[in-house]
Amino acid sequence: MKYLLLLLSLLSSTATFSAMNHGGMIMDEKGMIMNHTPDKLPKDCKEISEDVDITIRGGHKFAKDFNGKMFTYDKREWQVPGCARVNVTFINEDDIRHQFMLHGLPGYMYPKGMFTIEVYGKGQKTGSFIVPSRDYTYYIHCEVSTHTEKGMKAQLKVGKGSGDLDSILGLTAPLTPDYYPVNNDRFTWLSLAFSILIGALLISWLSNMLARKIKKSSN
Amino acid sequence: MPNKVLYYRLIPVVITLIALAVWLQPAFFQRAAGINLPNGQLPQLSKPLAIAKPCLDEHPEWRAAQTVDGVAMAESLLCEPDNPYNVAAAVKGMNNISMRTLMSTHMAEDALTKSDDLDGDGDPDIIRIKLEVLELNGATPDSPNVFPTYDIAPGIQPGIWAFSPKLRGMSVKNFRSNKANAILRAPSPVIRIEQGDKVYITLENTHYFPHTLHFHGVDHSFQTASGGDNDGVPITGEKPVMPGATRTYELQPRHAGTMLYHCHVQTDKHLLMGLNGMFVVEENRPNNWVQTFNIGAGHVRYSSAAIKEKYDREYDLHYQSIDKNLAKTIQESNDIREISKQMHRVYNMSESNENYFMLNGHSFPYTLRDALIIAKPDENIKLRLANTQHSNIAIHIHGHKATITDYDGVAVNPVAQITRDVYDLSAAQRLDLNLQTTNDGLHSYGEGVWLFHDHVETGVANDGISPGGNIALMVYESMLNPNGMPMVREDALDDVLTNSFQNKEKPLWNKKEPGLLAPNYVHLILWGLLIGLIIGLLTFIIRGLNKAI
Repeated sequence: MKYLLLLLSLLSSTATFSAMNHGGMIMDEKGMIMNHTPDKLPKDCKEISEDVDITIRGGHKFAKDFNGKMFTYDKREWQVPGCARVNVTFINEDDIRHQFMLHGLPGYMYPKGMFTIEVYGKGQKTGSFIVPSRDYTYYIHCEVSTHTEKGMKAQLKVGKGSGDLDSILGLTAPLTPDYYPVNNDRFTWLSLAFSILIGALLISWLSNMLARKIKKSSN
Repeated sequence: MPNKVLYYRLIPVVITLIALAVWLQPAFFQRAAGINLPNGQLPQLSKPLAIAKPCLDEHPEWRAAQTVDGVAMAESLLCEPDNPYNVAAAVKGMNNISMRTLMSTHMAEDALTKSDDLDGDGDPDIIRIKLEVLELNGATPDSPNVFPTYDIAPGIQPGIWAFSPKLRGMSVKNFRSNKANAILRAPSPVIRIEQGDKVYITLENTHYFPHTLHFHGVDHSFQTASGGDNDGVPITGEKPVMPGATRTYELQPRHAGTMLYHCHVQTDKHLLMGLNGMFVVEENRPNNWVQTFNIGAGHVRYSSAAIKEKYDREYDLHYQSIDKNLAKTIQESNDIREISKQMHRVYNMSESNENYFMLNGHSFPYTLRDALIIAKPDENIKLRLANTQHSNIAIHIHGHKATITDYDGVAVNPVAQITRDVYDLSAAQRLDLNLQTTNDGLHSYGEGVWLFHDHVETGVANDGISPGGNIALMVYESMLNPNGMPMVREDALDDVLTNSFQNKEKPLWNKKEPGLLAPNYVHLILWGLLIGLIIGLLTFIIRGLNKAI
């Protein structure tokens, strides 16, 4: 029993060790890449279909084109074929921390199903991951507090993807939208009144036609 | 009757159309934005944007140390230093100053009389003070605005009452102005007398409601020598001093310290309206003339002999608050019966909120004009703090730890004195502090423009607009401009000096506001047509049915 316990504990600690090393975190004073996987194929891929290099910039300045938002990426949607090796260069244009964090990858090779590049300030890092073959839309965001909510959200479609995610700037509407007042003026109410009048006149015209027809037929 | 059947058959059609119309009803007034949020827009301002000057610099000649009628007063480098003639009159009494000095004050000739050196120590011992009751920013039947105007901060004019020395002449700056004369201001003046003085304080009730004077913490007998009311409480003494009447209270304080005086009629309301002031009894010393009025509180330009022994400077810091709902009761009617009803019966103190917070009668940024603590390194500065809000305050001076020397006018045993950086005062409490400017890492962290403010955060906003409230600055002379303004970033005060910012209308950091969405005309017109069809059909059915009968 003792031996069994010892063995178990040894096994489990080895497992922890290997998990930390596996796909590992590559860290330095500039940033961190998690689950950099340039050469291990997902189970459903026989070979790498294509090498796709993408450069993603993140920062405050890219959100200036979007009303009421604070941070975002320069592009918020990418499409790659199944089994592609995606080589991401993430460039942080701010002096603060930003992330390129992608979710939904197979857990058996990407712990927690994630691939992440985090850059601690101005600078860049490059890392790779290989996507499985199925059509799927992967969720990309920056998880620094409030950054996702205030605009830093994107999607990666593999193949045809599996639909769009909500609230991606310039692409999809938010699931819980804000409501804004409508800029009504005199013209708004005039056009409403006018269209009501037209509708009523339409009936009056129709009934006259009907009356004429009945008259004709009775004649 | 085949026709009638036709009309009946149309009724379900109409009902369907109505259901459709309800279902398809457009969002007339607000709707979700979709993918792109509306463009930003500039705010809609209710009044044209106006930026107040930080300092008007009306009397630069008042700043220097000077001697008026033999009263050698200290330099006061503030933007709005105290009027030296008022200081001289407050030290000597109106009976001992020149006609020129008297004419340079707005005080009446009998506002302050000092006479009779009873103990022969070189200073007068019989002090006769006359106080009036004034109203600021009250209603007037001659204009939709308030009168006389007194801005506690840019564009902020809540109704305020205050005691004032008996005045003389106009209450406004000039005939064409609605602005209150400088002496008509909050808070009620600090009254300063010497320990052992025989003080006769007369309340001349110039106001439209009854009032009294109550001396809080100041040694006084329950009744005057002639048996009159001397505690100012209508339920234990005489009836209040009615409008147009006067009453004289008598004091001969045996104990020195920082105390209070206030009206004790409908005290909850009248105190919060501003009928309260600091009352300082100075220790007895030979040849000790004290500055009996410190109008607007703040810097004491002529400190008593005892203070000069220990301190380089002295400041009276009077913290007050305003409930805007109480304050407006005097602004909404000119009928005193209606004002009384609104203030004393409709207004409910138990539902009170404080909205404005003042230090020495001003809220930030106007505290910068006259409520700075000005200092030099290696000084001892006497601060007298009084809290006449109904909430607590917790004053913090950045970069300094001061020593509490007195609680409620009673000295603390020096070995038990506490040095700390937050000074909490409950309602009506007073603290005397020794603020040392020795750069030793404990008492002071060195020269600077150091904020000092209430750390109960409601107190640092003007009706919720921050920064405001009782924020003020402790400024070292090396960082003070010649006009008395602190050396701060050029644009640092732009927002707070703007009326629209104080009005809650100007977005912070020069950003824009979320804009409006354009109406969806296609939806609106289609829906209009649908409604038109329903109206037309209904008319057709009703007319047809009427005819068929």
